[in-house]
Amino acid sequence: MGNQIQTKDEFNTDAYNKLANEFRHVITDIICRSGSGHVGGALSLVEIIITLYYRIMNIDPKNPDMPERDRFVLSKGHAGPVAYTALAYLGYFPKTWLPTLNADGTRLPSHMDQIQTPGVDMSTGSLGQGISCACGLALAAKMNNEKHSVFCIIGDGESNEGQVWEAGLFASHNKLDNLVCICDYNKLQIDGTTNEVLSLEPLTDKWIAFGWEVFEMDGHDWDDIYDKINLAKKVKGKPSMIIAHTIKAKGCKIIEGTAGSHNIKVPDKEAHEKYMNALDGEKVTLPY
Amino acid sequence: MSLHDKEMRAVYAETLNELMEENNNVLCVEADLSKASGTNPTVIDKNKERFVNCGVSEANMIGVGAGLAREGKIPFCASFSCFASRRVYDQVTISCAYANNNVKVVGTAPGITQGPNGGTHMCFQDLAIMRAMPNMHVYSPCDVYELKAVMRYMAKEKQPTYMQLIRSQVGKVFDETYVFNPNKAVVLKEGSDVTLVSTGYMTQFTPKAAERLEAAGISVEVLHYPSVKPFDEKTLIASAKKTRAVVTVENQNIIGGLGGAVCEVLSENCPTLVKRLGIPDRFGEVATEEYLFKKHGFGLEHIISACMKMAKRGK
Repeated sequence: MGNQIQTKDEFNTDAYNKLANEFRHVITDIICRSGSGHVGGALSLVEIIITLYYRIMNIDPKNPDMPERDRFVLSKGHAGPVAYTALAYLGYFPKTWLPTLNADGTRLPSHMDQIQTPGVDMSTGSLGQGISCACGLALAAKMNNEKHSVFCIIGDGESNEGQVWEAGLFASHNKLDNLVCICDYNKLQIDGTTNEVLSLEPLTDKWIAFGWEVFEMDGHDWDDIYDKINLAKKVKGKPSMIIAHTIKAKGCKIIEGTAGSHNIKVPDKEAHEKYMNALDGEKVTLPY
Repeated sequence: MSLHDKEMRAVYAETLNELMEENNNVLCVEADLSKASGTNPTVIDKNKERFVNCGVSEANMIGVGAGLAREGKIPFCASFSCFASRRVYDQVTISCAYANNNVKVVGTAPGITQGPNGGTHMCFQDLAIMRAMPNMHVYSPCDVYELKAVMRYMAKEKQPTYMQLIRSQVGKVFDETYVFNPNKAVVLKEGSDVTLVSTGYMTQFTPKAAERLEAAGISVEVLHYPSVKPFDEKTLIASAKKTRAVVTVENQNIIGGLGGAVCEVLSENCPTLVKRLGIPDRFGEVATEEYLFKKHGFGLEHIISACMKMAKRGK
């Protein structure tokens, strides 16, 4: 029990699968403990977040403000619990903080908060704003002639926001090739499928038309994620968008692939157990 | 040309250039209104590499500003006050104030100074809504000397700030020796019958009003508030205790801005009769300043008349 993987270790599918399963148990548990929360969009990002934090980003948990670190903005700030799990497992703060999610006085609010939580580069939660902020981080790096990358994850529902597309224009106009965005395309938003609510298609063509280099990947396939992010990092002269095909609430059978998983209500212990028992993988002992 | 013979926006641009020369981190950020802000070509000519034009995308401009500020930059993000405040209120709230990112939001052409752009562009609530935002500092300098001092202060202090920037030339109130202190109102004149409180664009009219009132035998104490938040309560309370009558005047809706701040402070500390002058909860329109002053009752003559009435009522 417990995660033995350290960042930049040689990749091992079994160990990473085990870690992803542990993440899913933690995320579901801490959301259930708090009584409600955005579980669907956190579970859809588990493999992407683990890949970024464990294999891609140049970061140092002992020195969260290291100037040369890669920056990360979770523009879909409601997926906070998946990022908090990574931050806790890497040692930015004790794992005992995790079950304080959304509790009175917590430092782990449902939406990402740069003041409250160590390792968070940007406060997000009001959709559309994080990607603009990521553009600012990337532009500052260019001005300072710094070589780090800025990673940003946006939601597909979030892509309804006009500000996302303002940022899209800005990033390509300013040739922000140090900016790599990932769109968590689980094709579901609060009120239904993205096609029912406000169709994004053709999404890839839209970003190409906005002057971005665009990739698509299976957002649950370790190799595909790793390869596409590395390809995106190498792009010169324009920003990159990776459309990540994902499954909302991936791994939690009773809500997987449903719009209702966006925000679940967990009124009692029974409901808590129901969600935990619905998780696919082997049961884990929670680390707190 | 003396400084006070220049347009406020010209002094804004010149001061930005000075600040940029002194500190590499100061940036000029615009949303396709750089000519209106006065920074095009003045800032572009001297500091092209630190001039960022976001195009007509004010929401994105605020987010970009927040990202830049997070990296230690000091972005002065300007647009018309209607767009720099109400259009991007949530962006300023979350990306700047909630996150405590050091963004300087500059709302140009405040209130009726939008003139020919009319009702769509006249913003009468920016002081009120920005004041209601935690972490936000809200300034409204009244002349070129104060503008320079306020901008220097903004560049030095790491805190999200909203500043109104009048574009046109305005009457001289201060001189080169002026020092800005956001925690202190400026007592322009002492008096005992009535207190006249103003900010920003309207302050240039208060010395003349005071002169006319004195001639009519009314002793008016004149207070100018360059900072609406933080708000210097002490000076106001002391003055109200002395005069027992207060008139406020601002280039804003009378709801929630300077007049609102004055009423809040006085009703909690020193209940006093207050007359608020400004826009009486109406939208703007294409019109001259004289027309709007007359229609809404907050020009020089209205200020004088309100002070006379209040001096009597306060007794």
